[in-house]
Amino acid sequence: MRMVRLLSFITAAALLSVTGCEKRKDTAEFDIKGSMELKYSEQFRVDYCENGCSVVDIGGAKYLIVPEDVDIPDDTTGMTVIKQPVENIYVAATSAMDLFDSIGGLNRVTMTSTTADSWSLPVVKDAVSSGDIEYIGKYSSPDYETLVAEKCGLALESTMIYHTPKVKEQLESFDIPVMVERSSYETHPLGRMEWVKLYGLILGDYEAAEQLFSEKTKAFEELSVGDIPDTERKTAAFFYVTSNGYFNIRKPADYVARMIGLAGGKYIFTADDLSVDDNALSTMNIQAETFYELAHDADILIYNSTIDGELNTIDELIGKNSILADFRAVRERNVWCTGQNMFQQTTGAADMICDLNSIFTDKADSAELTYLHRLD
Amino acid sequence: MSGVILSSKELSVGYGKKVVVSGLAFEVSRGEVLTIIGPNGAGKSTILRSIAAQLPAISGTVSIAKNDLAAMSAHDIAQKLSVCFTERITAERMTCEDVVSTGRYPYTGRLGILSDNDRKVVHEAMELTGTIYLADTDIRCISDGQRQTVMLARAIAQQPEVLVLDEPTSFLDINNKLRLLSILRELARSRGIAVVQTLHELDLAQRFSDKLLCIRENKADRIGTPEEIFTGAYISELYSITSGTFEPVYATAEAPKVSGEPQVFVIGGGGSGIDTYRRLQRQGIPFAAGVIHENDIEYPVAGSLAAELITEKAFEPISSESVQKALAVMKKCREVICCVNEFGTMNMGNKKLLEEYERYSKV
Amino acid sequence: MSRKRAIRWTICFVSLVLLAAVSFVLELVIGSADISVSDVFSALTGNNSDKAAVTIVRDIRLPRTLAAALLGGALSVSGFLLQSYFNNPIAGPYVLGISSGAKLTVALAMMFTMKYGILLNSAEIVGAAFVGSMLSMGAILLLSGRVRNMAQLIIAGVMIGYICSALTELTVTFADDANIVNLHNWSMGSFSGISMDNVNVIAVIVLAATAAAFMLSKPMSAYQLGESYAKNMGVDLKLFRTALILLSSILSACVTAFAGPVSFVGIAVPHLVRSAFGTSKPIVIIPASFIGGAVFCLVCDLIARMLFAPVELSISTVTAVFGAPVVIMAMLSRRNQKGSV
Repeated sequence: MRMVRLLSFITAAALLSVTGCEKRKDTAEFDIKGSMELKYSEQFRVDYCENGCSVVDIGGAKYLIVPEDVDIPDDTTGMTVIKQPVENIYVAATSAMDLFDSIGGLNRVTMTSTTADSWSLPVVKDAVSSGDIEYIGKYSSPDYETLVAEKCGLALESTMIYHTPKVKEQLESFDIPVMVERSSYETHPLGRMEWVKLYGLILGDYEAAEQLFSEKTKAFEELSVGDIPDTERKTAAFFYVTSNGYFNIRKPADYVARMIGLAGGKYIFTADDLSVDDNALSTMNIQAETFYELAHDADILIYNSTIDGELNTIDELIGKNSILADFRAVRERNVWCTGQNMFQQTTGAADMICDLNSIFTDKADSAELTYLHRLD
Repeated sequence: MSGVILSSKELSVGYGKKVVVSGLAFEVSRGEVLTIIGPNGAGKSTILRSIAAQLPAISGTVSIAKNDLAAMSAHDIAQKLSVCFTERITAERMTCEDVVSTGRYPYTGRLGILSDNDRKVVHEAMELTGTIYLADTDIRCISDGQRQTVMLARAIAQQPEVLVLDEPTSFLDINNKLRLLSILRELARSRGIAVVQTLHELDLAQRFSDKLLCIRENKADRIGTPEEIFTGAYISELYSITSGTFEPVYATAEAPKVSGEPQVFVIGGGGSGIDTYRRLQRQGIPFAAGVIHENDIEYPVAGSLAAELITEKAFEPISSESVQKALAVMKKCREVICCVNEFGTMNMGNKKLLEEYERYSKV
Repeated sequence: MSRKRAIRWTICFVSLVLLAAVSFVLELVIGSADISVSDVFSALTGNNSDKAAVTIVRDIRLPRTLAAALLGGALSVSGFLLQSYFNNPIAGPYVLGISSGAKLTVALAMMFTMKYGILLNSAEIVGAAFVGSMLSMGAILLLSGRVRNMAQLIIAGVMIGYICSALTELTVTFADDANIVNLHNWSMGSFSGISMDNVNVIAVIVLAATAAAFMLSKPMSAYQLGESYAKNMGVDLKLFRTALILLSSILSACVTAFAGPVSFVGIAVPHLVRSAFGTSKPIVIIPASFIGGAVFCLVCDLIARMLFAPVELSISTVTAVFGAPVVIMAMLSRRNQKGSV
């Protein structure tokens, strides 16, 4: 591993020294009159300017939203200009689609990088099937001709686009503003949902977005989990079995792990167990025996069905890997499975936490769960 | 045209640091054919490759027209020296004319495009070797013999002053062997080209060479004319022949003699006994032969194959002593074969021999 | 040269040029946006007022078409050089491990920069691929001086390829899913997203290298008879070998850097061209391979784009489907010849 790191370093250093790092340009400055109020989001911020524009900062990248009735300022160096009204949006970040739908903005989206079959949200699935939203190829090779012919007003990409910089450069060369959203880096699950405020602002309907957000988070805010002591919390593991037999789990700072924490449970894997940084995000593969060692005594097991399909029975679970039969949660039949829409239904984050809370407080069978079901 | 064109001085050749043959010093004049002979593994090909500048010499020099080969550029060498090896060539989709045309490369421009003169030279080379009818045929679709001749045409088209060939007759039948060597001979004579070759066929080496270089035990053993080399037992020693004999005058080999007490006596003469000698040898029967004159055509064969041989001096009639000697041996044998039909003044003695035998056998 | 041959070659060249022209025009005219043929031409000449159409034709289709043609030509010439030199019909532009080296450096670059939050732009990925290719090439050149025969050099190239692949897999083990997917996408090859700036760079490199290869026609012809004869005819073997490895590597490195590894073109097209022309003369086959490769890639790119539009097939998929049968046929027909000389 050290050798690999060393080689990567040498290569990247060589490259960067040759081509030069991305230099910090002097960005245009505007007079600010206020900022967007954000409860949970940390990955973006919005400053409102005196001239009516808004400056959005996502991870250092700056975007200038210019309202319809305002002229684009002369100096916009270092900023990507998004002129309203924004029409013919190309959405290549799947989690954003639900947010657009929730504020009635789906009709402004005309292109996507995910096929109809891959959408589990029925509204979106229909839109893509019927052609209202056109599938134009994968994010790494979109159909530029359609994008140009349709006069795309905004390309909304996930950070995956950084792996294919060629695409971003091409889009920008056609004067299509590219916004790279970083909602998956939010540490608080509701932080992901709060991005709806940004999209509301872009579509020109911030109030609707703000209202929606308050409604959705109400149920969550009424939960009182803060006072459940750590030792009394039920432990839970969230995982799936990969095609070559590894167990894919969330890293401890991942938002799913956080959701479990916020719902009154305790994510069973800690940073020490896994030898990762405390801030490690997203997922990792571990060997079966490690998973067994760390999780065989967990109170609850939750299977992630979004990758290879929903499970309905415990036997199906054991079919994935026979050691699971030995797990306490399996013997006590406390195994749950997610619905396939879990990651696409961004607006359901709060509801999801409530679902989890029901499980952790043993109210699961009586309440109706939206996103999880128990395995028989 | 005469004069030394190729010479070597204290030449040692080999691979890497390993010396295969040392102490080579020879000269080849224009129009001369030098054949290198010697046992397998003696280093003949190594010498050839060093002369052809394919292999660097370990020490000593090779010179063409007094210019040291090692100091010449590859381009200059290419215009003076061409080669013809027996290794299988790997050409794909080349016609015979294409192959011969490559011989002109030392004379063509950057892209290797042939001029009218080049084409003329190519044609001449192919006509000289009798391969012009193969011009448009793919080189892979002809017989080995034809291919070898085409390679020779290629070497000729290069207009060399020295031509180096490694066993050029290897795959050829007797007709093609003779043709090729005749062409070489003619080439050497008419264009003053020095030819250096290796041959395994000693009889052809004897007949088609001006000089022979014999390599034995990592050294140049002898260099001389065919008459000087093909005498006495030298060739037998050079090749350490044990399973047969070698007759130097005609450069022919005979199968090993069947030794032991002769069981058959062959009366021959004038060459009539040769077939019988060979048949008996094949059958593994030791035999005696007599009385054969020393200048008889079958004398060498008899000498090689007969377990016992009674001879008579050249040009002398067979003496009664010889007859007595022959009779003594004949009495040991169980059978007598008389091959000769005519009895003249010189071999009247054999007639007596025959009569004696007939009388003896009736008893 | 016989008349029959001259006629055959003329017909073949004319056909190739015509095919090239046709496929070039088709690539320009066919696309997912509906632009009429006359509009395409007016966009090219600057007489079109529809901004979208002009952008599509000039900034999307034209660079892509030019790139496909140039890179296809580069691959064929590279393949021909190596097939000739090694006298091996399945030698291709990547037999010396060039694309494996490129893939390794791209993987390392992607992984390293992602981890430390540095953003790579496309020029840097191209640079990474080039560096990787050149490192592989350097290793081969070093080894070429020491191996005893050319079969050993191919083995060395294949081994280098394996080493690089193994190291790449090692890198990938520690990478995020996202990186893995991206590396896989990159390694399948694509002409999508190539800009006019890229095309300028490609054109300079490819045309210069091809011209240089053409100048090697004479020593290549000599080499076709074998090393001994080539040497005797005055070819500097060491220089020739270095030049050949250098040129073929630069050509295939250029393709790998800008479009990722594109398979089969380099193996299949020289075979097709040699069969059609009935000769292996470099002075004929090098230009013919270039045009042939351009045609092959243009057609394959058209199919890759349009067959399942808007999903774009990776170019290697299409070239393999067309290329593999060609290679098989070539192998079978070779056996039917009266053996090699």
